[in-house]
Amino acid sequence: MMSYVIGVPTLLLLAVLQSTVFSEIGFLDGQPDLILVILIAWSLAGRADEAMVFALIGGIFLDLLSGTPFGATAIIYVAALYMISLVEGQFWKGHFLLPPAITLFTSLVIYAYSLGILFLIGHPVDLSYALPKVILPGTFLNLLLALPAYHLMSDLQERYFPSEVDI
Amino acid sequence: MRRPRNRVILAGILLMIAIGILLLSVSGYLQPAEDLLLRPMVKVQSWIAIRYNAIRDVLTSPSDISTLRQENAILEAEVARLQQEIISLQEQATEAEILSALLNYARSQPENRYMAANVIGQDVSPFLRSIWIGTGSEAGVVQGMPVVTERGLVGRVAEVFATISRVQLITDPEAAVNVEFQTSRADGSLSAQLSGELWVDLISQDADINVNELVLTSGLGGNFPADIPVGSVLSVRKRDVDIFQQAVIEPSVNFADLDIVLVITNFQPLPINQVQ
Repeated sequence: MMSYVIGVPTLLLLAVLQSTVFSEIGFLDGQPDLILVILIAWSLAGRADEAMVFALIGGIFLDLLSGTPFGATAIIYVAALYMISLVEGQFWKGHFLLPPAITLFTSLVIYAYSLGILFLIGHPVDLSYALPKVILPGTFLNLLLALPAYHLMSDLQERYFPSEVDI
Repeated sequence: MRRPRNRVILAGILLMIAIGILLLSVSGYLQPAEDLLLRPMVKVQSWIAIRYNAIRDVLTSPSDISTLRQENAILEAEVARLQQEIISLQEQATEAEILSALLNYARSQPENRYMAANVIGQDVSPFLRSIWIGTGSEAGVVQGMPVVTERGLVGRVAEVFATISRVQLITDPEAAVNVEFQTSRADGSLSAQLSGELWVDLISQDADINVNELVLTSGLGGNFPADIPVGSVLSVRKRDVDIFQQAVIEPSVNFADLDIVLVITNFQPLPINQVQ
């Protein structure tokens, strides 16, 4: 319960920072997706179920601050975090390249989904512009943040929310 | 560890909630809920936006600030207090400067009624070019209202909530503005490329367009009032094989540095879907 008390305001703050600060200090036209990076890290830190709930809440916060249809981001975030939760229990879960690899793949999937949604609502979409100027720089920034976020979330998880052990 | 079956059920429930939200939103039933959620968010966002803009202004200001910083370094004991003071004063000065310019602009256009609004954020989607302003339907903002600064046209209100509104910039590829050239009086249709570059298309081949010529809104189509500056001509593309000529426009507004904008409140726009 404590994680939700802390997590929900944190997600709200991240969504606001995404809109006010990080929309201006990106790379080319790309910007890091703070909420996605934190959610992936939280899921890989062993809190996959919570991360899925946070994905819904974080997606809703982002949808509130976007012209995309309300709920659209929440759907892909929940779906993505469910797919990431499947990593749990795999023998390669501890591989140090897993967080960046998952961040890379998830970022690309979410960008593709966003473009698909814009196409569906009739907004002009140009992949030849979006790929080099938005998608690749944004994915690169997410990749840069992936490992620090994973270590931060793992430390937080171990220190404040240690996993229950079945005896 | 939770069993996978339980996780599938949880994911299914969350997905159904998200899809339900999407469907309700598309049907228009979620506007009150969005208003409710946005209220606390707007307060946090305004608070952060004002401080972020102040810090950004300090960091990007010319040398006088660096002199102040050197003094601050010497007066170590007062660093924190001075820095705070500088940020606050800088913000007040910038705000006063902007408001003064906006007031002069408003006085020069007595036929329009304006409402000043703070820019509190940008669209979180990198594919959409729009900004959030900290005023909404409670203050009388209506969808479709034009938004300007003292320099020229910014865009139009695309979405309105109780305390916040989304303004679609003219640099968004979905936006279209009917314009005319000030000297040649030729008409055209301004639209943005996906890169944000502005083009005026549908200009008659007979028109003699000059570089640096001012481009104004024409008022045709009913989505913007006439004679608002949009930008100036950077280059003209005229080929005999084409039916129309095109012009690349340098916008008069610096969209990267918008702090305060004016909403024209007495202009009755046509509904957006009717325009499109």
